[in-house]
Amino acid sequence: MVTTEAPGQKIAVWDLPTRLFHWLLVALIALCWWTGEKHQYDLHLWSGVAVLSLLVFRLLWGLFGSSTARFANFVRGPAAVRAYLAGTWRGIGHSPLGALSVVALMGLVGIEVGLGLFATDEDGLLLGPLSGLVSMGASSDITEIHEKFFDVLLVFIGLHVAAVLFYWIARKQNLIGPMVTGKAALDPDIVPMRPGKWWVAVLCLVAAIAFTRWIIAGAPPFGP
Amino acid sequence: MRTRLLLAVTAAALIAGCNKPPTEQNNAAVAAKAKAVLGPAIAADQAKTLMHERHEGMEDIGDDFKLVNRELKGASPDVAAIRTAAAAIADGAAKSSGWFPPGTGPDVGKTRAKAEIWQKPEDFAAKDKTFQEAAVAFKAAADSGDLNAIRTQAGELGKSCKACHDPYRAPEGDHGHD
Repeated sequence: MVTTEAPGQKIAVWDLPTRLFHWLLVALIALCWWTGEKHQYDLHLWSGVAVLSLLVFRLLWGLFGSSTARFANFVRGPAAVRAYLAGTWRGIGHSPLGALSVVALMGLVGIEVGLGLFATDEDGLLLGPLSGLVSMGASSDITEIHEKFFDVLLVFIGLHVAAVLFYWIARKQNLIGPMVTGKAALDPDIVPMRPGKWWVAVLCLVAAIAFTRWIIAGAPPFGP
Repeated sequence: MRTRLLLAVTAAALIAGCNKPPTEQNNAAVAAKAKAVLGPAIAADQAKTLMHERHEGMEDIGDDFKLVNRELKGASPDVAAIRTAAAAIADGAAKSSGWFPPGTGPDVGKTRAKAEIWQKPEDFAAKDKTFQEAAVAFKAAADSGDLNAIRTQAGELGKSCKACHDPYRAPEGDHGHD
């Protein structure tokens, strides 16, 4: 995202669904961590499943949403990353480097949630909705990976936060503000965001919830 | 100079006078209570054996309970398998009150049993008793074959595991997998 130093005209960069996704994910991952640490099993299951819904929603919104939310518009090859690092990239939305961060974080959260679906805690009190599809031993192993993999996720979350702070302090570019308000001051000649349709967002949400409910039910006909 | 020294000595004496003897008394009282409630202290060489037995026993109970809840989660729970597991859990639970004599804490060997167990022996023993009763009730429900009763009692049993594990068991990794 290229912003001008002068307080120019602020235009829309991130739509509401994308911003809600981002901040709900922050809150839910924190809740997942806390409930996991404190063995609040009901809440841990609920918050994990909520993260799954969010992820599925974001994947769909990345196909059918606003221009800056679509993967096809921001996931680019190494050439674009080099151009960005050389300072010659211009555009709206995720920079080619920021796009890598989005894909990495969504992928890691997806792996963590996916592992959790097959996990069982050591006392057999919390059973992931898909834990019955694998053996008891496999479920225990997956649980250990689920616990350790969270640290990997934390490292990448730390990198993400560090990068945002770097832009803020070293580059004098505030990325947090636009992720809250949805607007940023951009060069006037940049192609503006093409907003997605609200009813498409509703459909994406309905589909995400339906998929999650299917998972909670044990993914029939594979499970119960 | 002399006044300062005098003050320091007085302060030290006061601190010592206020704190030390009651703490020692408390420690002695708690230790006596722990013996009374959790059994006499065990010799170091026997401690390791018992701690191993405890670990294996708890792990078996956990595995049996996992099996139960996996069955209950499935489309058609295997009541016979649940009954076998319930009997094994009740057997293990009956032994559990003998698994925590003084001298089997984290200061003796690798264990996730927290030192708090022997600092609050009465609370720990009460929670263990609840667990044993829940295990007996769960076995009775499993023997009856009534799935609703089995689900209810499995829930109660699970609560009794958690009630003790939350305060008295250290997280995995803190003290190794013991």
